[in-house]
Amino acid sequence: MSAVIETEALTKVYEGAVKGQDVHALTNLSIKVDEKEIFGYLGPNGSGKTTTIKLLLGLIFPTAGRMKILGSPDIGARAVRTNIGYLPEGAYYPEFLKGEEVLSFYGHLYGMTGRDLKTRIDRVLDVVGMSRARKRTVRGYSKGMRQRIGLAQALLSDPQILILDEPTTGLDPIARKEIRDILASLRDQGKTLLISSHELLEVELISDRVGILSEGELQACGKLTDLLSDRDTEIEVSGATPDALTRLAEAGIRVGDQVDTKASLRVPGEVPLYTAIERCKAEKLALVSVSPQRETLEEFFVRIIGEDEEKRRTSQ
Amino acid sequence: MTAPVNFLSSVWTIAIYTWREGIRKKVLIGFLILSILVLFGAQFMTAFLTVPRSAGELETSIDVQLKMVKDICVTVISIFGALIAIFISASVVPSEIENKVVYTVLSKPIRRFQYLIGKFLGVQFIIIVNLALMAGLFFVALWVKEGVLPTLLLWSALLTYFEFLIVSSFTFAVSCACTSAVVPTILGLFIYITGNLTEYLKDVERRSGQTALWLDEWTGKLARWLYLTLPNLKHFSLKTQILFLEPNDPPRDVQMMALVIYALVYALAGYIIAYWVFRRREM
Ligand SMILES: Nc1ncnc2c1ncn2[C@@H]1O[C@H](COP(=O)(O)OP(=O)(O)OP(=O)(O)O)[C@@H](O)[C@H]1O
Ligand SMILES: [Mg+2]
Repeated sequence: MSAVIETEALTKVYEGAVKGQDVHALTNLSIKVDEKEIFGYLGPNGSGKTTTIKLLLGLIFPTAGRMKILGSPDIGARAVRTNIGYLPEGAYYPEFLKGEEVLSFYGHLYGMTGRDLKTRIDRVLDVVGMSRARKRTVRGYSKGMRQRIGLAQALLSDPQILILDEPTTGLDPIARKEIRDILASLRDQGKTLLISSHELLEVELISDRVGILSEGELQACGKLTDLLSDRDTEIEVSGATPDALTRLAEAGIRVGDQVDTKASLRVPGEVPLYTAIERCKAEKLALVSVSPQRETLEEFFVRIIGEDEEKRRTSQ
Repeated sequence: MTAPVNFLSSVWTIAIYTWREGIRKKVLIGFLILSILVLFGAQFMTAFLTVPRSAGELETSIDVQLKMVKDICVTVISIFGALIAIFISASVVPSEIENKVVYTVLSKPIRRFQYLIGKFLGVQFIIIVNLALMAGLFFVALWVKEGVLPTLLLWSALLTYFEFLIVSSFTFAVSCACTSAVVPTILGLFIYITGNLTEYLKDVERRSGQTALWLDEWTGKLARWLYLTLPNLKHFSLKTQILFLEPNDPPRDVQMMALVIYALVYALAGYIIAYWVFRRREM
């Protein structure tokens, strides 16, 4: 697998009007986004997600460090740009144009014309579900429609890479699901997606790998399965008596909810699962289900960001 | 082969888009309507000024009236045209940065200098069409009034455009460093006004230095410096010729070519400054 987007010690300092008011938005960021994956780029407000994305698109310039896209250090090259679809944060498109005119305008910038452009516009409008609103001006679009037309313009050139800054912010649950499905299907078509977000549940649902940013520094990066520890295991049993449950509790197994003779038990990481099951057998309990309880991305995120803040506090 | 085609087609796309967006600006439409009203109004207004008592007086009064109409119209075209040129040049880039459309545009396969050329061209389309509308109206009115084709007016309009080009490229360059249209508009107006008054600057310089006060001396230096750097926009006006020559006379005593080149050099310098400022600008 080759890296499609690569940054090396990327640093961005926004200079303040006065000395000492500089904002260190990004510090020594080194990430790799591989081909054909969805990379979830996470971080709290103001952690530097948008800054990274703007750097990748050449809208702002790095203070230090290097970037490579599709192996090329000239991130403004035509071949590179044609292969990046970008959805900016918040949806701003020419207000006075109709939906299809917006797409035609951007299409011309890609050098597309005539029939090719027209069929492509029809296609992307269909993908994002905006075919019916194509003749209306952007001024009259709702937030969701703007976001969709934004996604449509990002898809216009059928790019290999999609860089989406908070693609589902401000959308209703159904629209979110739809967008998520579109993004997953794009990945299945072999596209690479970099998605910034703070909607953790959503990112967990679709990302292959995530990077977590806090105050401009990368705190964690990797596959979700590697990052999130498999901690507890939940065992559901039936035929439980209070005595049996007390004995299990003494063996270090936590007892949760009980309904009649059914009980759910939580086996912490330090008790081997096999031992726990043996004990249940000895107590003549019937097993109903055994399920691993993975840490959620949210728990992980809160823990990582919390640890980082703690470190900053103590180092001050 | 495809590279230059791509280059031009992107520039063209931006230019057309700028034009389409620009002609929607309310201020611009307002100025245009106002100027057309004044142009029309001038034709009628003068009719009420004097009541002639004899045939000879009638003739002179018609002559005076006509001069007056011409004077008003030339002035209105110059002032309103300049206002529109300054306003539009000052606002296209800042407004696009403010409404953030620039993010999606600059992330497409287009370089910043292409984007700027496109913007600049779009602005020039607006200025030209607008000037053509005003001058065309005046042209037809004069033609009807005098019965001869007022070709001198065409020369005047041409020179006026090049005057606007200078003001516009300067304003545009300033706007590329600004986040709103206010500062470039003010500086554009400053250039237009002082550019038309550079003869006075010479006067100021000549009269300064008579006292030994440092303020006096520095005023003189400043006046001289401004005189040398500011474009002399008075050269671009054919107003006196329009007033006193026959409407179909060729222009006299103006070096058309030299003025055009003079304006083009200023415009090129303006564009280079604009690009230099915009090249590393953070969006
Ligand atoms: N143009 C700018 N000038 C100065 N500081 C800036 C500028 N843009 C961003 N910053 C600062 O850089 C830091 C990172 O901002 P950035 O927009 O990248 O955050 P983000 O992760 O996208 O946040 P959010 O989730 O709220 O969108 C913030 O502290 C912000 O205040
Ligand atoms: Mg952001």
